Amino acid sequence: MTLINENLVVLGLEASSKEDVLTKMASIAAQQGKVNDVQGYTTAVLHRESEYSTAVGFGVAIPHGKTDAVTEPFLMFASVEPIDWAALDGGLVDLVFLIGVPEKEAGSTHLKILAALSRKLMKSDFRDGLRAVKTPQDLLQLLKESDIGL
Amino acid sequence: MKIVAVTACPTGIAHTYMAAEALEEAAKKKGYTIKVETRGSVGVENELTDQEIKEADAVVLACDTTVPMERFAGKKLVSAPVAEALKGADAMIDKALKAEPYGQGGGKTLADQVADIKEQKSAERKGVYKHLMNGVSFMIPFVVAGGIAIAISFIFGYNAFEQEGSLAAYLMGIGGGGGAFGLMVPILAGYIAYSIADRPGLAPGMIGGSVAIQLNAGFLGGLVAGFLAGYIVQLIKKYIKLPKNLQGIMPVLIIPVLGSLATGLLLFYVIGKPVAALNAAMNNFLTGMSGANAIALGLIIGLMMAIDMGGPINKAAYAFGTGTLAAAVGTGSAVMAAVMAAGMTPPLGLALATILFKKKFSFAEKEAGKAAWVLGASFITEGAIPFAAADPLRVIPSIMVGSALTGALSMAFGSTLTVPHGGIFVFFAVGNIPGYLIAIAAGTVVTAFLVGTLKKTVE
Repeated sequence: MTLINENLVVLGLEASSKEDVLTKMASIAAQQGKVNDVQGYTTAVLHRESEYSTAVGFGVAIPHGKTDAVTEPFLMFASVEPIDWAALDGGLVDLVFLIGVPEKEAGSTHLKILAALSRKLMKSDFRDGLRAVKTPQDLLQLLKESDIGL
Repeated sequence: MKIVAVTACPTGIAHTYMAAEALEEAAKKKGYTIKVETRGSVGVENELTDQEIKEADAVVLACDTTVPMERFAGKKLVSAPVAEALKGADAMIDKALKAEPYGQGGGKTLADQVADIKEQKSAERKGVYKHLMNGVSFMIPFVVAGGIAIAISFIFGYNAFEQEGSLAAYLMGIGGGGGAFGLMVPILAGYIAYSIADRPGLAPGMIGGSVAIQLNAGFLGGLVAGFLAGYIVQLIKKYIKLPKNLQGIMPVLIIPVLGSLATGLLLFYVIGKPVAALNAAMNNFLTGMSGANAIALGLIIGLMMAIDMGGPINKAAYAFGTGTLAAAVGTGSAVMAAVMAAGMTPPLGLALATILFKKKFSFAEKEAGKAAWVLGASFITEGAIPFAAADPLRVIPSIMVGSALTGALSMAFGSTLTVPHGGIFVFFAVGNIPGYLIAIAAGTVVTAFLVGTLKKTVE
């Protein structure tokens, strides 16, 4: 199962707003064949975002969307300059995990991984590790070692 | 300290689990033990057992969706959105430990508890049952208004409404087929479709309901029309995609026209006639039924009304009863009468038991008994739930026997009713009042003595 690969990791993504971050990440996901409709997917994610912010505090946001615009489930990571994301704790966001799940997805393996990742994000040493990585390979290694089933 | 918690959110991809983690961390820091049930996209994980809930000092709910609540009755409980647990899991746990017990006690009266239980039940309704009950609940006020107007018209004489320009005629105009009773089936169908497909479902559903009336398919036809319209609109919404700048005409043009035509034509050409035949057969069966068959039906209705006290089985019997009203304008429905009588006796019987067998009930139950008189007299069967919840194995069989007796007697005496609700306040709409009163009194007394005999003395 390849939920994430080094092409889906962007360190130091340049973006001006959360919409900009999401559009740019969605375009990369589309280049990797994970998304067939960048606008449709971005809209779904922003719609979810409008229910309440996925910026859960500690500088982390985990935007996600379950829509037909996703061709296969994926996980994407980007680090950005601190940006406003209407976070619950009022802080800025610099770590973004973008999640895509096809509408008709039946299997639950990837959902279990995302659940485990969500739990892991609540731990400060894991977040510190994410901020310290220098290359996409390091990030993948960190995720592998974190024992979340990737 | 032991804490149990539930986390849930609509998408259930991340926040459910983050909230769980936050609660676990916060509890660990305080040195408390905690178990968190997660209700996310993977399904229910780490489900709480009754034993764990029993042993817990407090319950924390961080949920944006409805979760089963009955199991937490009597526990200190705090409930908040998922986001709250991410922000302040620590504070939530503190708050829970100081919270009021959920449900029973907590200074709430029996009537409040019953209202809570009813609200919770309607929130938990799902799927077909939820759609059906949505239709029925919107229909009831029409049936009540119509039934009572017709009943008053009959006070002037059974045929008085045939005199043009008389008050009796106007009352029949308000309540009868040209007024409230004529709206009954369209409203039922319309709001079933509304429940399935939201607002766009309403017009095709109501129109389908009027087609059902034209086909003489009655209540049953209304049910079919409502579900048909609802699902047809769902299909239209799913498969007809217009360009963005034309999307505005979906709700005002495409859905009403296509939905109504599809529903109506299907009813006229395909489904309507068999349903009408079935409806006629059912009505003939009911009106022709007498003697032992009628008594057996009354018995079954009684058992159904009492077994879950306002739950799906009770509501199924109730919906059946209101359905028979549509075909019984003028005569009143014996089935409806049995349904209401059997639904009144459980709280009445329990109320009587608290007076006759004082030693078998706690002080709180005796107080609740006073309210149970009122709830029973108003035909709110749910009034029995707090008693049944405390001692189900002794209370439920007792009220079932009492209600079965009442249902059977009501049918045996040939009592009828022209309205679907109201308890003693609509007794003027009952045919054969003496028989009806005997039926209710008998069930009440039998319930009281059974409960009194079976229950153990309170220490």
